[in-house]
Amino acid sequence: MTRWGMVIDLEKCTGCQACTTACQMENARLPGEMWQDVLFYSEGEYPSGKLSWLPRPCMHCENPSCVAVCPTRATYKTEDGVVLIDWERCIGCKYCMIACPYGVRFYAEEKQKTQPDIRKVFPAKGDKVWDPPYKMPEHMQNPKWGVGIQPKNVVSKCTFCYHRVSQAPKGTVDLNPDDPKLRPYTPACVVTCAPSARYFGDLDNPSSEVRQLIATKRGTRLLDQTGNRPQVYYLAGEAPAIPETRSVRSGRKA
Amino acid sequence: MTATAMDRSPAPLLAYDAKPDPISALLMLLGAAGAGLGLAFVFYALLVDGHAAFNTSSDMAWGSPIAFYLFFLLTSSGLSIVASLDTVFGLRVFHPVAKRCVWMSIVALVAGFSVLALEIGRPFRMLWALPVGMQFHSPMWWMGVFYSLDLALLCAKFWLMHTRRWHAPGTHGLSVLSFVISILAPGTLGLVFGMMAMRPAWYSPIMPMYFILTGFVGALAFVLFFTAVLPNQRRKPNEALFDVLLPRLFFVSLLAVIGMRFGQIVTTLWSNYEGMEAHWLSLDSALFKIEILVGLALPALLTATNGMRANRALVMLAGFAYLIGNFFGRLELLINGQKVPLFKGYWAGYVDYWPSLTEWMLVPAGIGIYLFLYGAGEWLLRLAEAEPRQGRTS
Repeated sequence: MTRWGMVIDLEKCTGCQACTTACQMENARLPGEMWQDVLFYSEGEYPSGKLSWLPRPCMHCENPSCVAVCPTRATYKTEDGVVLIDWERCIGCKYCMIACPYGVRFYAEEKQKTQPDIRKVFPAKGDKVWDPPYKMPEHMQNPKWGVGIQPKNVVSKCTFCYHRVSQAPKGTVDLNPDDPKLRPYTPACVVTCAPSARYFGDLDNPSSEVRQLIATKRGTRLLDQTGNRPQVYYLAGEAPAIPETRSVRSGRKA
Repeated sequence: MTATAMDRSPAPLLAYDAKPDPISALLMLLGAAGAGLGLAFVFYALLVDGHAAFNTSSDMAWGSPIAFYLFFLLTSSGLSIVASLDTVFGLRVFHPVAKRCVWMSIVALVAGFSVLALEIGRPFRMLWALPVGMQFHSPMWWMGVFYSLDLALLCAKFWLMHTRRWHAPGTHGLSVLSFVISILAPGTLGLVFGMMAMRPAWYSPIMPMYFILTGFVGALAFVLFFTAVLPNQRRKPNEALFDVLLPRLFFVSLLAVIGMRFGQIVTTLWSNYEGMEAHWLSLDSALFKIEILVGLALPALLTATNGMRANRALVMLAGFAYLIGNFFGRLELLINGQKVPLFKGYWAGYVDYWPSLTEWMLVPAGIGIYLFLYGAGEWLLRLAEAEPRQGRTS
């Protein structure tokens, strides 16, 4: 069985946020609700200041703590290794948002950071959060996967573009966006990445490109000590470390 | 309504033919006003803005409603434990407050559940999704199971007391079961926070014990406060309980909370672990100061000597101060665990949060529900009733 995973090459990533934008458009997310984000870290002061960045999708962990804490099993892991939310089962308790070590989950019912409130500009009929002018076709939306325009009062997150990936021909090892036949099945962030810093494929297949990269370029996972075992790997190259600290502090005076 | 032992003759289930005493009437009036105002405001805000009426966000997922919920549920469990000192452990000296404590415990649960229902995104979906989900790995699922059982058992226990079947077959067994659940429920609620290794400011195996203990002290404060405003409780046969034992137990338990809290503060301030800096930040917050100064230091000072503990006004004030401090302390705990954002980058900064007006209106809503139901119980349900002394076996 395929187990989908992603590799992000930090030596190639330029921090351009095209992945963030593509994800927003593909999945009709609200402003600030970034399933895929690029985080920025700055250290030191002029003239030795340093800026670094880290693209951060959902890690689709092997042992996801969000799945374990969800009291209704609305959050679940598919057979092909993707962590999804069943919007028809989520009660909006937000425990998964507490339990995710990577902060990748979102709750739309909050004060909007940008004005005007886009939900009121494009109001939805019925139970949906909003009705954006651009959205994926109705037949591709699936609330059982947490894909499409979401209902109110439920949690949302990156799905690895499951509406695309799940349709890939059986036996596909690598979803390479350079292959026109496979492009429609490849996650939007991978397709749009200009420097081709993202790779997507089967982590369980030794011949897959993602496996080769992890093995030959020392693929690293974030916060491995949590035991969540992400299925997103980073290639840091010659960089001394991935800026994986979640803290915003720069140090405390002794 | 008196606290004297009574015969075994059938009593009317509800004393609705009697007029409520002034205190009960006042409690019900205040409760109805608070609940009416609070609920109307919150319902309107939720109708217009949905949960965006709260200041919670994707970074501060759990806000003040959860803190208020914690306050009511943990106090409820504490009240059930106080009642069990008599009904399970046979400490007859606590008998005059046993039935009252069970009722207070039920009422606090109802108030807590009401607040939670207004916070949860889809509360009605819980009714089928929780039992169908059967997610044994989730402490929240177990919390739902234990608190549902807790409410059912407390209602059954109260029913047996109210219908004067203190010695009916199975009564003691039911009391024991209710006591066990009243330990497991707040303990599991502690695990909901204490198991979260990804939230270092909460992560602690001590959290369940801390929740149980602070709830127990809260329960004693509730009893001392509410029996102080009901002077007919302070009758001569009960003086040893109200003027000596309960204040002393309150003081000793409070010292245990202070010791535990001091240990927490020292440990967390010493640690360099990511996320623990939330405790440094909280030192400057008003919530921390209220928790420590009003909720812990003041009540300890007010009940420090035998003479002070015999002064009912001081004890009542100490109980009230603890409840205020405890109330804001729960909110501080909630914020500390989420103050340091998870993977938002250096530029995101710490998460700022203060409850919105809608969230604050949950306070009169919850307390109003509590006061109204408690006052109604005081009026209609013979809360001061005791069982026949000769029938006692323990």
